[in-house]
Amino acid sequence: MPIGPFGIDPVIWAVLRLVIAVGLTVFLVLNGALAQIFLERKIQAVMQDRLGPYHTGPYGLLQTFADAIKLIGKEDIRAKLTDAPFFLAAPAIVFSPMVASFVVLPFSSDFVGANLNVGLLYLTTLGSMTVLGIVIAGWASNNKYSLMGGLRSAGQLISYEVPQILGLVTVVLYVGSLSMVDITNSQPGLLVNVVILPMAFLTYCIAALAETNRNPFDLPEAESELVAGFLTEYSGMRWAIFFLSEYGEVTIVSAIMATLWFGGWHGPGVDAVPALGILWFTLKTYGFVLLFMWIRATLPRLRIDQLMGFCWKVLIPLALVNIMASATIILAFADPRLPLAIVNWLLVAALVVGLPFTQRRRLLKFRSRTGESVAMRDVRLSP
Amino acid sequence: MNVPLGAFIAVSAALFFIGAAGVLVRRNAVVILMCVELMLNASNLALVAFGRRAGQLGAGNPLDQRGSVFVVFVFVIAAAEVAVGLAIILAAYRNRPTVNVDEIHQMKG
Amino acid sequence: MFDFLEPLFFLLLATGVIGAGIAVVALRRITAQALLMALSFASMAGMFLLLGAETIALFQVLIYVGAITILILFGVMFTKQDDRGYGLFFQQQTPWAAGLVVVVALPVIALAFTFKDPVTPSPKGGDLIPLAASLFTDYAFPFEVASVLLLAALVGAIVLVKRDEP
Repeated sequence: MPIGPFGIDPVIWAVLRLVIAVGLTVFLVLNGALAQIFLERKIQAVMQDRLGPYHTGPYGLLQTFADAIKLIGKEDIRAKLTDAPFFLAAPAIVFSPMVASFVVLPFSSDFVGANLNVGLLYLTTLGSMTVLGIVIAGWASNNKYSLMGGLRSAGQLISYEVPQILGLVTVVLYVGSLSMVDITNSQPGLLVNVVILPMAFLTYCIAALAETNRNPFDLPEAESELVAGFLTEYSGMRWAIFFLSEYGEVTIVSAIMATLWFGGWHGPGVDAVPALGILWFTLKTYGFVLLFMWIRATLPRLRIDQLMGFCWKVLIPLALVNIMASATIILAFADPRLPLAIVNWLLVAALVVGLPFTQRRRLLKFRSRTGESVAMRDVRLSP
Repeated sequence: MNVPLGAFIAVSAALFFIGAAGVLVRRNAVVILMCVELMLNASNLALVAFGRRAGQLGAGNPLDQRGSVFVVFVFVIAAAEVAVGLAIILAAYRNRPTVNVDEIHQMKG
Repeated sequence: MFDFLEPLFFLLLATGVIGAGIAVVALRRITAQALLMALSFASMAGMFLLLGAETIALFQVLIYVGAITILILFGVMFTKQDDRGYGLFFQQQTPWAAGLVVVVALPVIALAFTFKDPVTPSPKGGDLIPLAASLFTDYAFPFEVASVLLLAALVGAIVLVKRDEP
């Protein structure tokens, strides 16, 4: 009769382990979301030259707890004509894939939930299931603005799934495996993948901003457009679940970026003390979370047609060129790192220089009030 | 106790005939499209199940993935078919604002 | 000791697949039908997992639940669905459908149960590498043809719904 740890029957230990794992994940997600909400408010405040929350608790640290208590205590208002089962199910459909994604993230060399050999495909699949929840939320609210917000959001999300996957494919071509642990192990030391594949990183970063509905792509949930879009009818804890899932998704996307392009849990001292990997992984992940917040504080919002045009006309062609070139180079050269790096950095330069170059007429000319077109250099700043 | 192959094939056949009955009976064009997707799903299951059958043609090589490869192509074709089918339904809807297939029975007008 | 788990999961998934299928055919509300279809697809992905084809299972969720269900929901929302009063079972085609089920379906399902072979265990290390190897070497030409087909479908769908701007 096999004996499990602590002398418990192995069957009970298997079930108990599942419960503990799910509880731990939800705990991590919720606390991470709390920390991120606080960080976001403070960092945006500092970048906008103001103070942010400072009243509740020292340095305003208890602000998010106060918010959470308020949200839990709110009255559960639901409009009468909403489709009740779908209205209630939509937050769950958005939240569950996000929690399920934590199982393949490699926190450390011996601290992975499940080393799936299709880990990256699993993460992509779960990312595409949240779109369904958003469409249902928009539909079930029985509100024209919600419906339009939900459909716009769905269009944005499914459009940006393509560059997201194309960016991941480049890394997978280089590493040769879809498993997150293998990808981490392929970057020991300092030569991390971002030096070799920056275009893929840029593509994935921009697509991830759009996939998680963050600025500058947060048109569906912006409060000045469409009255907060598909979230209009949700209040209190249901709204909180949508926001928790958004912050959880930001964490997962940052974790993917940290793993694929920045070495995951590698860092000084990991070989001696494997548990230090968790520290490095968390630091890198939160570095990207802070990057997202920085971008949110800096860039203005894009309109829906600008967003879609950027995706289909700029990101996808560049990502496809990247894949074609990478695949050719990997087959042609024995050590493909230097040619890959050259091609990728050229593509990054093409994006950074090419985008203003193609818009130069629009940037240099504008129409005066009478409708004539005036070149910038003819305008005098003083009478 | 392993699940025998016949159980998977029975589920596939049942789903296929449910989808076929749906295509025959329902009047809404979008619902007919959904039932066609059910039929395609059923055939996917049958393909993968037969591809995994023990002692199959091809010497039972565990590396033989012919069923799964076929299923990948069926995925591609199903996605393309849903896109074009919905485009046709929307274009017909613009002409005469109904999706009831009983009423879209004239080619002209 | 865990021998009962696999048939138990199979029964649960089969109930999901077939029950959701019946609901798609029989229900009246179209959004409920679309979502139950998504449930049927997800249960089907579970059955692929039982058969040991995990890449196909993930593709199933990614393509069917993640894209085709959204497409159908878009189709539902852009068209006005009138809820006619007439019942489902008084159509012209109902005798044909019933005849199909009784005459063809039941014998086929009974025949299906005669396949007693067990299912082979999945290849070691998962089915990703064997699948990719055969897809990109033996079946590379159909792969390219499928990509051209997708391109044609994409362009065709756009052309079909384009409004003629004056």
